[in-house]
Amino acid sequence: MIELKAVKKSFNTGKPNEFVAIQGISMLLEAHKATVFKGPSGSGKTTLLSLIGCMTRPTSGRIWLLGREITSLPERFLTELRRKTFGFIFQQLNLIKGITALENAMLPAYPAGDRYESIKKRGMDLFDRFDIASKAHAKTEWLSGGEAQRVAMARALINDPDVIIADEPTAHLDTHLSKEFMEMLGGLKQGGKTLLLASHDPIVCESQVADRVVNLRDGKIEEDTK
Amino acid sequence: MIFHPAILALFVGSILVSFIILYAALYAVQILRKWDLRSGSELQLILERKTYLISTFLAYVFGFELLSFFLFIFTADQIHSFFIGAMCAAGSLFVNPYGYPTLILKLFNFILAGIWLILNYVDNKVEDYPLIKKKYLFFLLFVPLILIETASQVSYFIRLKPNIITSCCGTLFSSQNGILPLAKAFSPGLPTMAAFYIALSLTVGVGIAYFLKGKMGYLFSGLSALFFILSIVSIFSFVSFYIYELPMHRCPFCMLQSEYGFIGYPLYLTLLGGIISGFGVGVLMPFRKIGSLSVIIPSVQRRLALISVIFCLIFAGIVTVRILLSDLILEGF
Repeated sequence: MIELKAVKKSFNTGKPNEFVAIQGISMLLEAHKATVFKGPSGSGKTTLLSLIGCMTRPTSGRIWLLGREITSLPERFLTELRRKTFGFIFQQLNLIKGITALENAMLPAYPAGDRYESIKKRGMDLFDRFDIASKAHAKTEWLSGGEAQRVAMARALINDPDVIIADEPTAHLDTHLSKEFMEMLGGLKQGGKTLLLASHDPIVCESQVADRVVNLRDGKIEEDTK
Repeated sequence: MIFHPAILALFVGSILVSFIILYAALYAVQILRKWDLRSGSELQLILERKTYLISTFLAYVFGFELLSFFLFIFTADQIHSFFIGAMCAAGSLFVNPYGYPTLILKLFNFILAGIWLILNYVDNKVEDYPLIKKKYLFFLLFVPLILIETASQVSYFIRLKPNIITSCCGTLFSSQNGILPLAKAFSPGLPTMAAFYIALSLTVGVGIAYFLKGKMGYLFSGLSALFFILSIVSIFSFVSFYIYELPMHRCPFCMLQSEYGFIGYPLYLTLLGGIISGFGVGVLMPFRKIGSLSVIIPSVQRRLALISVIFCLIFAGIVTVRILLSDLILEGF
């Protein structure tokens, strides 16, 4: 489903402080599976997820999504692709303070131009699914860590994307919440979503949900376990 | 040089445009030589990012090019009072040898800029850059013309001095001593008027047929070009007489003045809009079979045909109303 060919990403290219985050990675990521990118800090996990999720462009190499080459796409095409295909869950959840949990979850749907009521219904359905319906109208700063994580997940799913990208999703969760989060991801996988996770948390890497663990070090694949 | 605001705007604008064009030309050469969408090389990815920037630059530059034509004729008209003998832009442009060449270059570049913008618009509509090499090759062929235009315009402006004695439009465009043999060749005006309305009917008819059925694109494009040429000739041959209500006053510039309700601006705007959109239909014809463009181009061409027909009708409408409402009656001309 997602194919990477000789993907390289460097920062400050050509300058004395050039840093190569990804060093020519080639791989095939299957649809409807959960792949975990594991590795120490600075190994290139987040950069790789950003490249796959069209958040940044490679320095060289190509990425194909469902046979469509996406690295050459101008930004005006990437925006829509990103919105429809990918749902993002960030390490710092990036929920916006001052507005409600439901409004946070609805935000990525606004640019698509759907009717407000339709977006709200989708949001509430997701809140029901993640058992946080009672918190829909609570300000995000009042939510617990677990609740905030679920809101972030609802936000990632509001546009019904095929691929969920989660960067260190359990970094701020305790063991119980981390396991609960992985169970929810398992449910999404069973529902047909493709999961791409970056984590060095054993709860994530050793979870039954993970179909494949790719160990990264210094921007290269060190080990690929299925 | 005369320090008139519009002259300074054109002067600085054209120099900036030339620098941007030269910068863009460097990338255009690189794109022509190195572009390979199948490659994932660092250079290719840089070029993909750069082309977005460069084509955006060029879209603004050519947008300025379109505006600058009208600003130039407006300026030439505004400054005529500085020169002895000048009654309108015709005299201002005749004060040194660079005025009319600049005007002709600007007119030519106006049309080329419009066509490049159409190509760029279509190319940007799809994601696989199907016209990238063609539009940059076209651009590179266009670069010398813009640079010559800048040089000619700068030469024209810096040689402008007040109180130069020049000729008025009555002398320049007269049938006996005028500088326009083409207009003279089409006098008297009746055959030209007949040809004008026949060309209008054909252009509009084929344009509507193209809009409805998507056929005869090249024919429509050719007719648009013919209508454009005939319209220019008509302005000299008979349209100007009715606008000025003066037989034998053929000036294409006096009509830009307030005494004539600035009628020249809508006339030239619709005429040039019509030729660009009409000619654009033909320019796009060879590319309508290209995979990703096969859906986009036919709809763009139909819109262009419609725009061209509307512009032609507005132009002809203005001309016809002026003829019908004019107090001038020309018999046997």
